[in-house]
This record gives sequence, C-alpha cells and structure tokens, in this order.
Amino acid sequence: MSEPLLSVRDLKTQFFTEDGTVRAVDGISFDVHEGEIVGLVGESGAGKSVATSSILRLVDSPGEIVGGEIEFKGETIFGVEEGDDGELRPRDEMLTEEEMRKRIRGREIAIIFQDPMESLNPVFTVGGQLREFIEINRDLGAAEAKEEAIDMLREVGIPAPESRYDEYPHQFSGGMRQRVLIAMALACQPDLIIADEPTTALDVTVEGEILEMVTDLQEKYDTSFIWVTHDMSVVAEICDRVNVMYLGEIIEQAEVDDLFYDTKHPYTSALLDSMPRPDRTVDELRPIQGVMPEAIDPPAGCRFHSRCPEAREVCREVHPEPRELSEEGGAPHTAACVKHDAFDVGYDESPPIDTRATGGFSAGFTETGGEAE
Amino acid sequence: MTEVGPPESDPEALLQVRDLCKYFDNESGLLAGVQLDDEFPYVSRSTSDVRAVDGVNFDIKQGETLGLVGESGCGKSTLARTVLRLLEPTSGSVYFQGEDLASLSGEPLRRMRKDMQMIFQDPQSSLDPRMKVGPIVEEPMKAHGMLDEEGREARAKELLEKVGLDPQHYNRYPHAFSGGQRQRVNLARALSVNPDFIVCDEPVSALDVSIQAQVLNTMEELQEEFDLTYLFIAHDLSVIRHISDRVAVMYLGNIVELADKEELFENPKHPYTRALLDAIPVPDPRSGGRTALLSGDVPSPIDPPSGCRFRTRCPEVIQPDEYDMTEDAWRNVVEFQRAVERRAFEETDPDILRSRYFEDAVPSGDAGTLLDEALGHIERDEFEDAEQILVERFADQSVCATTTPAYEVPSDLTDGRHYSACHLRRDEALASAVDEPAVDDAARPGAGATEADD
Repeated sequence: MSEPLLSVRDLKTQFFTEDGTVRAVDGISFDVHEGEIVGLVGESGAGKSVATSSILRLVDSPGEIVGGEIEFKGETIFGVEEGDDGELRPRDEMLTEEEMRKRIRGREIAIIFQDPMESLNPVFTVGGQLREFIEINRDLGAAEAKEEAIDMLREVGIPAPESRYDEYPHQFSGGMRQRVLIAMALACQPDLIIADEPTTALDVTVEGEILEMVTDLQEKYDTSFIWVTHDMSVVAEICDRVNVMYLGEIIEQAEVDDLFYDTKHPYTSALLDSMPRPDRTVDELRPIQGVMPEAIDPPAGCRFHSRCPEAREVCREVHPEPRELSEEGGAPHTAACVKHDAFDVGYDESPPIDTRATGGFSAGFTETGGEAE
Repeated sequence: MTEVGPPESDPEALLQVRDLCKYFDNESGLLAGVQLDDEFPYVSRSTSDVRAVDGVNFDIKQGETLGLVGESGCGKSTLARTVLRLLEPTSGSVYFQGEDLASLSGEPLRRMRKDMQMIFQDPQSSLDPRMKVGPIVEEPMKAHGMLDEEGREARAKELLEKVGLDPQHYNRYPHAFSGGQRQRVNLARALSVNPDFIVCDEPVSALDVSIQAQVLNTMEELQEEFDLTYLFIAHDLSVIRHISDRVAVMYLGNIVELADKEELFENPKHPYTRALLDAIPVPDPRSGGRTALLSGDVPSPIDPPSGCRFRTRCPEVIQPDEYDMTEDAWRNVVEFQRAVERRAFEETDPDILRSRYFEDAVPSGDAGTLLDEALGHIERDEFEDAEQILVERFADQSVCATTTPAYEVPSDLTDGRHYSACHLRRDEALASAVDEPAVDDAARPGAGATEADD
C-alpha cells in the first residue's frame, strides 16, 4: 500500500487534573490512506474526541500531548525527541503553531462537529460565515468567494442557495445546518476531514441523507475521512476500515467486514451483541456488565477484563498490545486480546474470572458506584 | 364519528386517549399576532397555532408497552405531557382508569398523579443536584403522604436495590453516579408511589449502547414484577422493536399507523412507516445500506398539509381521479412538482427539464397541457406561477389532499388490530372513518381550518 496520508504512532494525550493524571489517549496508532473513510468507534469516555483534537493539536490545558508521532503528508504535526537533559522536547521539523493555524487547520484538515448550532455563529448569516471562511483560506476576493460559497451550498443539497445564503442559522433545520458545516469543511478541498459524531443529533431519515451525500462527495473530491461515532450501524454503512477504542486504547483494528464477521476482541463482540436490532426482534439483550472505568485509574492488565465475559486470571496481569492476527495474505486485522494464540501468555491454562456470577446488573453497578466517589 | 381508527374502544383499557389536541400559540405577549394593514381598520389580529398534537386516538391496555415513534418535532413529547396533564389539552379527553383527566383539576387531579409517573430523557437535569438520592426517591411518597419517615426510607432503599443500585447509595448525590445509574434513580423515583402507568420519554437515548441494554432489561424486569404499563417514546426504532408490544408511528401531530410490533415491523401499511423502517441503519456491513430515502423536510405544524399530512413527502401519492396518466408519468409529475416547490433547480429550458424529469414517461391529455403551461412559466422565470399550477391542479386534487385518511386494515401476522392512515389501504380496509369529514370537524373544534380548504 502507498504511503499513508496521516499516520499516528503511539499517541498519548493526558490531562493533568487535581485528582490525578487522566490518560485519555494512551498509545494509539493508526493510519489513514488517501480516499478512505476510517472509523473511530467507542463508548463515551473512550477518548475518541481527544484523539481527534490531538491530531489537530487542539488539546487545551490541562490536557497535553505527551508522546507519540503524528505525520501528515510527510510533515510532522507532532513529534518529540529526547533532549540533552533527558527531557522530551519538540523536534525541529514539527510544525509551528502559526503553520498549523494558517496551513493545516481548515485548509488541509477540516473538522465537522456534532452540534451544528454551536459551530455556527447565530448572529451572522450562514452565507456570510461560509464566504468569510473561503475568503480567508483560499485568498479569494469577496465576490468570488460568495459565488464559491453559493456553489458549495448547492453542492451539499441546500435548495435555492441564493436566497438561503442570506438566512441565519436558526432558520435552518438541524440537517440543513449540518450540511452547511459539511460545505464549510469541503470548501477548501482539504485532504482529510475529521467528522466528530456529525449525525448523532439527527433523525435517522436525515442521517441517511447526509451519509449518502458524504459518500457521493467523498467519491467526487477523493477526500479521506476520520469518522468518529459510537454507532455501529453508521460504521457498517460508511467506513472502509475501523478502529475500536476502549478506555484510551485501540483494541481492535480491521476492515469493516472483518470487524463484523470475524470479530477478534471480546469488547467488539459484546458491543455488537448489546445493540437492539431493527431488522429482527431480539428477545433478550445481552448488555456489557458494568460501566467503563475511569481513565484516571485504569484497571491493570487488560483494561476490559473487569467487564469481559471471557476474562481469565492472566488478563489481570498481562497488558496486551495490539497484534497482527490476520491470516497470511488477508487484510490487516489487529486486536489486543490475549485469548489469541499469537500472544502465548498461557490464556488457556489460566482459570476464568467469573464476572457474571457476581449477580447480574447490580454487581457491575455497585462496583463502579464505589469507584465514582 | 364512527368506531374506527385507532380507538380500540376496549373498556378494559387502562388509558384511553380520544381526539386529543394540543395547540400552542405561535406568538405570545401583549401584541402577539397583531398585524398592521393598509386599509381600515389598519390593525388586525390573527393567531397561528402550532398544532403539536392534532386529533390523536389510542388505548393502552393494562400491563402492555405501547411504543411511540417518530422524527423529532412530530409531537411525541407534547403528546406524552398532554396525556399526563402536565400540559392542558386544547380539546379531547384522556380516560385513565375510566376517569377523564382532561376534566379534572385541583386536588382530584393531584391524587390521580400518584398512579401516573414519568421518566425523562436527560438523567442529569431531571435530578436535583443538591438533593441526595434517598430523599429524591422519597419525595413523591412525601408529596402523596405515603408511609412515615422510617417507612419511606426503608422503601427507598428497597427500590434502589430493585433497580440495580446499592441501597447504601442512599446518601450519595446524583453527580456521583454515571448516566445509566442516574436513569435508574429516576426509575426508582417513578416507582416509589407504586404507579400503574409510566410514561418514558426517550429514557435511553442519552445512554451508550452497552448501558442502554442494561437499562432496557431492568425496565422489562420491573414491568413484570410490578405489572406496569409503559408508554415508551423513542426515535430509535431498534429500541422500540425491542421493548414494545404495540407500536404507534407519529407524523406531524397525527398517528399514522398503529399495530402490534411484529405486524408493524414486518408488514407496514403506511408509506411513512416504510420509509422510517428503510432509513434505519442496520449494524451489518453486508446489509446493503438504506434504500429509498425520504426527501424534503417535515412541513411546519403551523400550517400542516390538508388531508394526509405525509402527502408532501410521500413516495406513493395517489393520482387525482380526473387524470388518466400512467403510473410512471404521475410519479414524474409529482417529482417535478416537488422540485419546483423546493426550487431545486435553476434550469429554465423546457426541453432540458423535460429530459431530466420526464424521460421515461410524459403525461398526456389534460395533464400534458397543464404541464406545458407550467414549463412555459418556468421558461419565463415565473416559478411562482408554475408552482401554483402544479400544486393546485395536481397535488391538491389528489384524494390524499382532500380527505383525511383513517382505515382499519386486516392484520396479517397477529390478532391485534391494525390502523393505517393511508388512502392506499381504502380497498382492503375493514372499516373507515373518512367519509364524514363534517362530523370530524365538529368533533374537533379548531381543526376546521384545514378541512375548510377542501
């Protein structure tokens, strides 16, 4: 395969709070190739959004990227080296804050957020905001930028774009606003768009339209996407490859079909099992026990072991790094679970930890309720 | 009004909702609705109501779960609040255990509230952050004078355990709990007064899928244990399919289809239900994705379409009787009319438009003449005139626009009754309530405006 467009290696982002260090993103690695839609999926609190803001270097204090490499089209967005005094310091070729602001954000990597009302300024017209963005980022004159803005609105399926150009965000429906944001993201024809749960707040019918439109536009402009979501159905529909995150780590990485039909990590299977299905009646849902622990004090060993139905004693002790598990010649498929032979840490001989025998729902809840304080 | 439509007129039903309407004033304040005119008397007052819930009928039997599903803005939450009399209904009645809630007020209504509880969508904002969980659960009991202090505490602890929390959490504040746990506190609070009926307004949509499943399972267990009746509102059809016994589909203030769960999901009789079902994403990359998506936005409930409210987006609008077009030609006319209405194109050349919209089938006869006229207007850039012709002569002539549909159709898969508000079902209908628009009007004061246009 060709050079990846974006490559993230061992990225670590931490938040230094009064209660301790929150390891929100803890050593994740993934690639995005040209023209690809890569999914980043997980429950809330898994670190998906922190991971995407890290890529744009938008992590605010008390958060900080503390390690790893982010390369985008051969340039270093983030990289550290060890200085003479043993301290880590940014490498020289790392892009400066000004370069990030002027060249990368918006122009090369655009981002679409979940709540379109919060991303648009309510006191300016929709067209005006779009025009301003194009004017600044593409060095066009006001008139040209306006024309371009109207073209973009038409492109994303807004009817009568000339008259809607002068309307305010509150006059647009939720789906329309999200279309405006997509227009804004596409306006500078970036190579990569990060979509952070862009359809979560929308109705299924509108979500369907937007996903369809994104697929069409993606083919037309050949843009790559990182699609952040918690919804496995959206993943199934739109993504080419998927990264599943749990508590700051990527625990499984596979092509979309393999992820659903050849699931390698118990968390991914549990997530798929816990969803009610629209296409058939499920008599009893099989929820994942308990809730995700706090990232401030992650469980030792495998982070999922406290909720995992297949957990054994060894899972408490060994922390699995993702390993390549695909058969020879198959598409890459990595997972971080010691039950696979590739790990060889004595999973088969290890006695099981019975997470279920502790009493159904209440067990998980009591336990985590205790942690919450 | 005939005994058709969703009214199942089951005297055994726990809750019977009849012709319930809730309108909101679009504007409020001293000068609301005042308009200045050019002529005498220069000032006029017009009110435009938002018809959030407009003539809804349904029953809920003891111990069942009725799922209520629809897009955002269709009036689900307003309906729920009106049923509980948290909002004053504009008209109609709600019979709960035989008593009409709409006519109650004051102390008798307050006493009735003991038997009806509600769980809200946002578990965070529905719990007082300054109260401990124990007192939160006890508060409804206090309000209704149940038990003494010790008894209440014992019951609160028992309930916390029942909903899957540790009774020792009695002295904790809501912030110490996760979203799923907070929703369990809400459940315990609702159960504290031993209600018969609980309205759940999107209780799991703010939760992660894995937590969602836990809460849904708990709700089902509690239903069995306490013989609860749920009105379960959600926009997520997967959740509705899991939890409901019967399902009502709502669109723009009306119930368009109501049937047993299996029947509704496997044998939907209303085009809107079908469109909704087609739009649900399936968590399976091999499912082939969604098909046949709806186009356009939900119309405004201030001035909803006449007749069937779904007709402006319906893919199966019925051809007016006066024309004799082929099915394909009629579909093309509908598509063209909607495109003109939305100003979806700027092209004015009739030939190009013809090849774009009428390639496979062109209407002939009267319809053809009208179409030529409309295309002529477009060529002269008179979009409004073209729209007027297309809307008045085609869209407004359809039976879908002139008559409000209400049919009961046979159930193929289950014994339950199946209500579908769609004129496509008129031939197979067991009974209908559409031939008496006049009676209908009288029964629904305030709803006359739309029908008057017909």
